[in-house]
Amino acid sequence: MTTATLTDTAARVENAVKVYGSGDTAVRALDGVSVDFRAGRFTAIMGPSGSGKSTLMHCAAGLDTLTGGAAYLGDTELSALDDKRLTLLRRDRIGFVFQAFNLVPTLTVAENITLPIDLAGARADTEWLDALVDVVGLRDRLHHRPAELSGGQQQRVAVARAFAGRPDVVFADEPTGNLDSRSGAEVLGLLGDAVRRTARTVVMVTHDPVAAAHADEVVFLADGRLVDRMAHPTAEKVLDRMKAFDGTRGDGSS
Amino acid sequence: MNASARLSLRSLRAHKRRFAGTFTAVVLGVAFLAGTLVMGDTLRASFDSMFAGASSGTDAVVRSTNVITTPGESQGTRQPVRASLADDLAGQPGVAAATPNIQGAGQLIGANGKPIGGQGPPTLAGNWIDDPELNAYQLAEGRAPRKAGEVVVNRGAAKTGDLEIGDTTTLRTPDPVQVTVVGLATSGGEDGMAQVTFTGMTRADAEKYLTPKPGEASTIQVRAGPGVSQQELVDTLKDRLPRGVEAITGTEAAQENTDMISGQFLNLFTTFLLVFSGIALLVATFSIHNTFAIVVAQRTRENALLRALGASRRQVTAATLAEAGCVAVLASAAGLAGGIGIAAGLQALFPAIGFPFPDGELVISALSMLLPLAVGVVVCLGSALLPALRAGRTAPLAALRETAVDDSGASRRRAVVGTVLGAAALAATLAGVLVSPSLTLAGVGAVLVLASFVVLGPVASTSTVRVLGSPLDRLRGVTGSLARRNALRSPKRTAATAGALMIGVAVVSLFTVFGASLKATMDQTVSRSFAGDVAVSTPSFGAGGSGLSPKLAPALARRPEVATAVGLGKGVAAVDGKGRALTVTDPAALARAFDLGTVRGSLDDLGTHGIALTENEADALHLKVGDTTRLAFTDGTREPFTVRAVYDRSELAGDYVITREAWAPHRAQDSDTLVSVTFKDGVSAADGKAAVEKVAAAYGDPEVQTRDAYAQSAAGGIDMMLTLVYALLALAVLIALLGIANTLTLAVHERTRELGLLRAVGQTRAQLRAMVRWESVLVAAFGTAGGLVLGGFLGWVLVRASDGASDSDFAFALPPLQLVVVALVGLAAGALAGLRPARRAARLDVLRAIATE
Repeated sequence: MTTATLTDTAARVENAVKVYGSGDTAVRALDGVSVDFRAGRFTAIMGPSGSGKSTLMHCAAGLDTLTGGAAYLGDTELSALDDKRLTLLRRDRIGFVFQAFNLVPTLTVAENITLPIDLAGARADTEWLDALVDVVGLRDRLHHRPAELSGGQQQRVAVARAFAGRPDVVFADEPTGNLDSRSGAEVLGLLGDAVRRTARTVVMVTHDPVAAAHADEVVFLADGRLVDRMAHPTAEKVLDRMKAFDGTRGDGSS
Repeated sequence: MNASARLSLRSLRAHKRRFAGTFTAVVLGVAFLAGTLVMGDTLRASFDSMFAGASSGTDAVVRSTNVITTPGESQGTRQPVRASLADDLAGQPGVAAATPNIQGAGQLIGANGKPIGGQGPPTLAGNWIDDPELNAYQLAEGRAPRKAGEVVVNRGAAKTGDLEIGDTTTLRTPDPVQVTVVGLATSGGEDGMAQVTFTGMTRADAEKYLTPKPGEASTIQVRAGPGVSQQELVDTLKDRLPRGVEAITGTEAAQENTDMISGQFLNLFTTFLLVFSGIALLVATFSIHNTFAIVVAQRTRENALLRALGASRRQVTAATLAEAGCVAVLASAAGLAGGIGIAAGLQALFPAIGFPFPDGELVISALSMLLPLAVGVVVCLGSALLPALRAGRTAPLAALRETAVDDSGASRRRAVVGTVLGAAALAATLAGVLVSPSLTLAGVGAVLVLASFVVLGPVASTSTVRVLGSPLDRLRGVTGSLARRNALRSPKRTAATAGALMIGVAVVSLFTVFGASLKATMDQTVSRSFAGDVAVSTPSFGAGGSGLSPKLAPALARRPEVATAVGLGKGVAAVDGKGRALTVTDPAALARAFDLGTVRGSLDDLGTHGIALTENEADALHLKVGDTTRLAFTDGTREPFTVRAVYDRSELAGDYVITREAWAPHRAQDSDTLVSVTFKDGVSAADGKAAVEKVAAAYGDPEVQTRDAYAQSAAGGIDMMLTLVYALLALAVLIALLGIANTLTLAVHERTRELGLLRAVGQTRAQLRAMVRWESVLVAAFGTAGGLVLGGFLGWVLVRASDGASDSDFAFALPPLQLVVVALVGLAAGALAGLRPARRAARLDVLRAIATE
């Protein structure tokens, strides 16, 4: 790996192995995956359920620890960090958008957006936040509670929160899984816009080819292994690849 | 505001109801504690001002230095001084006035023939002091006594006994004296000194009835001349006093009185109440811990989200603790207000039920506010600490899972630790009780037993609830079966919920068992030691009452129906340097009327220098029959006494027995505590009792009781005490109930989807309600069962330990009826606690319940 790719890489895993359970019931969720997520790009991780795509994201984001191999955020090796430093890393350098339950129900929209900054005890960059609020289009909802918003609006708040602290990488786990197609498209457009306009990095796990088509690149996972990468995806190309991929299942990476 | 604090405040505001139970538990506990402290301070202050006010005109008190104090007595018996000393002192420089003060016990009989007072506060009689400044009482109506038989009575006593000026009644000194009320007195504007009754007689009457010899006085009260301070007066007097007589300032004398009341009554009273507020707070700890544990479990996803977003463990823990802190401070503050309310309420209520509680402003000291506040906050934060730490340890990934319901079972480690702890506890307790009797060891063991019950709760809950709930399947079909499984779902939570009730029930059964055992002991004592047919006594309590006239026993003995009548009198002397209570009686008759067990030597001819004592005392002093020991009396004399008999049982006869002849030269105001009467053969019980009553009527009309009635009335105090204890424990049980109700409400909330599903597939509202109620009853049943076992065992330990610590035999008794009542109350409490959660669950809207995320 060259120096140029190193600086270009926002996050990567090398030979990542994750085993759940032990003995007969052991499940290898990740079976030696190496992949890098380039900085300033929007990458989608795809694969059928059970392929290990969520596990890959959790380990890359420092939510879970690997059984073997290594995960890096920039130049930081995650397995070397204790819980406290991992927490600080998540707080300061990573943003998250989950499928559901993204927002603290007792806090207002504005408070939810600034939550990571408040947790860090840092001062919010008001100009940046102002711009973010306009991008997600929630200016008139800032003082509402999450329960008063629609599902799409809630996910937009989650996106704004993910970017609020100018993180190195935003990880999104099926961010449109609970949304109708129109709201889903809005949220995905928002993620793509954010990457292109602000040169942020987004890594998104999805099983929806239409969602994956919003990304700059798609990586395909099956049975805990990396099976393919595709640049400039469209929904049809992704869908075709996925169909083909059902046939190649069990062959391992080619 | 920082993020943690904001999160806690928001979640508190959003989930107020969840903390209602916690809030109430803390409020009740703190209110009880604060109320006790405020009441204690108030009582102390009013006694302070009462004594200071009463003696404000007295600058010095002159008294004998010779005082003998027996164990368990705070004031002691003091040698009288020569009354004429007052005249000597009156002429001294710096002295404005000096007067003898003669004081003794004197109980008035009210207009209805019943004695006035005697249930705690002293019933006093004395000489009416003419110098108004040296007299603690002031004449409010009528006039001072001028001739024999005339008395002034304090207005409070007169009101209680319905006596008015001009009325004639009896004063037991204890010899009945016919007196006419000529005046009513007040003290410092009040109707009397708290509930103390006072009868002021002429000095001649006082000397005649209240002192053994004329010309004696309890103390001499001295007033200083103008410009002479109390200390200067005392310094002047010192040089002019005979040997063995001292002078103290009026302030010191007032202080001594206050200290005596504090030591004797107040400290006991407040300690007693503090113990119960401690129990209430202990129970509250369980409720609070449970609430927070459930809240934290329910908020797993929220906390996990915070952790994923970069909240440190410390921040999540702090947010939870901050919530607990807010509840604690608010609830404690409310508790303080409640405590002041309780004290004010009791102050108003107590006099109405005849309990002494002097008037005056409530004394609210910084300590009695800060201590309960601190205790409330510490209890609340301490109970929330473990759940808060658990919240901090939430894995960030938990945010992505379905809501995790806490269904963790009991770990093997818990079972092992609990079993080891339980075994150690049992070993320590049994060793402390059976092997080498030691209260400390038994106490430590008892605390460990409690701890092991708490640790083993979750382990035991599964099997116990299964057994207790097995009839439910048959009785209530699927509803019962569901209720049972719900109760089994989270053994830890079931155990913690039941734990609060367990402690409450354990303490109740502990007292029930101990009370029953005490009664059985009392019964056994009377039936073993009391060999007479009837007992004559004046039921009294504390410092009140004046006992029986020593002339009563001889008068009874002269009746043709009576074979023997023996009175037990009281005396004091220092034996081997330590103050001891003596039984002054006719020892030969004593041996016939009481069963003293094995007697070595003979009680027949003790004479004026013979003594009989119990084996325990004889062993302690290394005395045997024929040895000689010295007794020092309050009159300053020391005389040799020869041990004539050593006996076994001290239960009613006391530890030391001397004759009336031996006591006569040293006697103070004489009275008997009990007269035992045995009838002649062929005299029926009814005839004999009637004859005794007729004689007794002339001696102040004391109570005449058959043996059974006497045993019962001796145990009557225990029932009174138990009632009080139950009333105080009701608070702890109430807190435990709130805990059960709270846990169930939270559980219902947590199971919304499931309950919705049950309703959707056809469970009726009534069935749903029954299911929740039965779960509540099962949890309560588990707590009650644990409490009964724990309380019964601790009761047994307490009885055995008391048995080992005292020389009289303690009987152990399990009262089945009372314990069944306790069990039923526990179950009923469970049903009651389940009512509201069941109603709330039944109100659930089926569709919304299923849609709930």
